[in-house]
Amino acid sequence: MAERTSIFARTVSTPIILISILVLVVVSAWFVGRGPFNQTVIEIFIRVVLVVGLYVFIGNSGVISFGHIGFACIGAYMTAWLTALPAIKKKYIGLPDIVLSSKLHFGLGMLAALVFAGVCAFVVAKVLMRLSGIAASIATFAVLAFIIQVYSNWTSVTGAQMSFVGIPIVRSVWPYFICAVLTVLVAYVHSISGSGLALRSARDEAIAAAASGIDITRERVIAFTLSGAIMGLGGAMFAHSVGVVTPDTFYLTLTFTTLSMLVVGGMNSLSGAVLGVVVLSIIIQFLRWLEKGVDIGGSVLSIPLGLQEIGLGIAMIVILIFRPTGLTRNQELVWRGWPFNGLSGRNHVAGLKK
Amino acid sequence: MKTFTKLALSSALGALMLTAPVAIADDEKIVVGFATAATGFMQAYDKPAEDAARIRIDEINKAGGLLGKQIEIVAADTKTDRAEGAKAGLEVLDKGADLVVVSCDYDFGSPAALAAEGAGKVSFFLCAESIKAGIQGVGPKSFSASVLAAVQGATMVEWAYNKKGARNFYRLLDTWTEYNKGICDGFDWMMPRLKDAKLVGEDTFKNEDASIAAQITRIKSLPQEPDAIMICTMMPGAVSAIKQIRDAGIKAPILNGSGVSGSYWLSAIPDLSNFFVPEQGSVHGDDPNPDVNKFNANYKAVTGGDPSSQYVYPGYVLIDVWAKAVERAKTTDADAVVAELEKMKDEPTLFGPRTFTSEIHHQNRGRYLITEVSGGKPKVIDEWTISDSIPVDYLANK
Repeated sequence: MAERTSIFARTVSTPIILISILVLVVVSAWFVGRGPFNQTVIEIFIRVVLVVGLYVFIGNSGVISFGHIGFACIGAYMTAWLTALPAIKKKYIGLPDIVLSSKLHFGLGMLAALVFAGVCAFVVAKVLMRLSGIAASIATFAVLAFIIQVYSNWTSVTGAQMSFVGIPIVRSVWPYFICAVLTVLVAYVHSISGSGLALRSARDEAIAAAASGIDITRERVIAFTLSGAIMGLGGAMFAHSVGVVTPDTFYLTLTFTTLSMLVVGGMNSLSGAVLGVVVLSIIIQFLRWLEKGVDIGGSVLSIPLGLQEIGLGIAMIVILIFRPTGLTRNQELVWRGWPFNGLSGRNHVAGLKK
Repeated sequence: MKTFTKLALSSALGALMLTAPVAIADDEKIVVGFATAATGFMQAYDKPAEDAARIRIDEINKAGGLLGKQIEIVAADTKTDRAEGAKAGLEVLDKGADLVVVSCDYDFGSPAALAAEGAGKVSFFLCAESIKAGIQGVGPKSFSASVLAAVQGATMVEWAYNKKGARNFYRLLDTWTEYNKGICDGFDWMMPRLKDAKLVGEDTFKNEDASIAAQITRIKSLPQEPDAIMICTMMPGAVSAIKQIRDAGIKAPILNGSGVSGSYWLSAIPDLSNFFVPEQGSVHGDDPNPDVNKFNANYKAVTGGDPSSQYVYPGYVLIDVWAKAVERAKTTDADAVVAELEKMKDEPTLFGPRTFTSEIHHQNRGRYLITEVSGGKPKVIDEWTISDSIPVDYLANK
């Protein structure tokens, strides 16, 4: 058998490549330095967090979850409660007095969102993770419907379907960039941790994994909790990027947008999650730019309004026809050249191969 | 895998180059930015009001412009999405907008309005009727051109009390939207102030309810039919609810909010009668003010169709009052313009007077035309201004 180095050494180039891509995105924002483009970049980072959050559970466990956006909703409202102006909050009489009278920094709000969504995800996971396959997927969907119904009807706490306003808006890209980078790092560390590897083995060979002593339910609960917490952070980031939250923002549209980004990128790899977001966001931006009209040699070329959505659909279909397992073919981006060539050992076996 | 890295890198660089050239703020012109929905379901609400706003801008430009400068329009599509709305707001600001016009609905317009507020610019909701569309929900530089939903409810009950001799009222609320609740809030505020007026019953339903038979049974089981039924609802559920009430043989006058303005849906209930709607201006060609009818003709010439409902008009009003404030302030500087807007007291416009104060950038009182539908035909029969303004505190705590 060939000599093998540690899994860390073999895979560490992946997060470095992914973070480099994010750095490139943030540099482009800094370079352009204009409001709308800045906001687009912020949106990319939010999607990175949400899709990587989905990946932590779906990618590693192989169970598709339709319910994760519910945790984004939970996170968004948590930061809204904590960071909004007291004058605006006073009609949410169901909230504790300490929340009503305080106004925290958005960083603390995001942290609280992460923790609270994580706790909620843990409770849900304890119940649901005994299920597997399609039963688990449908159960997560039921959780989404449950969360959204509670948030859209609990008037004294969430304001029901009314927009929750007065959330401090953060227009700087840096906090979002930092969150996205940290999320990628956490997802990476989880995927190469003992728990992550055990879960991945259960995804590929459930019976063999169980026979090897892996407690599949336990590993799924860990991944579900972690990914729920990340979704909560993503929801909080959304709240601070727009300044308004309503429960219906976090329903089917966002669920399917983020899931399709994950699938197009490559469901079983972290690189797929990040690339799916970046590539599809660039396609969306390109089509939007065409919708607005492009000046080519004096004549304006433009596509009809609404074609962006159609174009995006076509692009996704084309990608999936040629790459049914996603842009990354479910594998991680790895760099085997300098300076990693010494680390990866001879007779290299791709570390995080499917 | 390296190809993907290359792909990602080149696409990212591509995106960089795609960003359009910078539009530099120009002192020779004034820019109005529309961060409204050109696609998605809000387009049906935004487009007509935006067309009316563009008509007013055209008129001003033809008359020599504002402060001697031409008004230029820039637009960005919100796609009926909140996150896109924030981007659209930032985009028109980036193109130098001095005024940001945002989506008709508070929920969908507020992200762009918040962007304008953050940039220190004036924003106007096209036709939002919630008190939050202004100081209370956006900030001190945000306004709405329409009249609060609560004023509609208050207007109808006070008018019916005085002109129809109604004393016993029934209140039916469709809990679907804030707008519907707003109408009933106005009703709730006004009715107890009217001597001898009393609420003989109240009920709720949901816009999507296929049948309101249970609610109708409760109305029919009252010892005597109420003098008037206030229905706080909007399209599309309104049609079905009203039809069921009439089909059940209840003939009492039905009072409404402006959500049922327009005649496009009347063919669904032939011979509808004893049905009253408050409207800021008449889309039926019989407005007492001939200038409104002239506007309607102009609107048809420009857009190819008659105004479908009164929600076209606030678009015209907003440019009108903003332009007046700019003329008076002699600058487009936001603070100066806001100060001038807040000095407006019963400022006449084509569609009723407008008042703004430092407390409320919306109308908590306003003149309404009362349109009666009789035998399926709408006709303006009266106009009414509520006797007192609805207090800001009452509205803000609802």
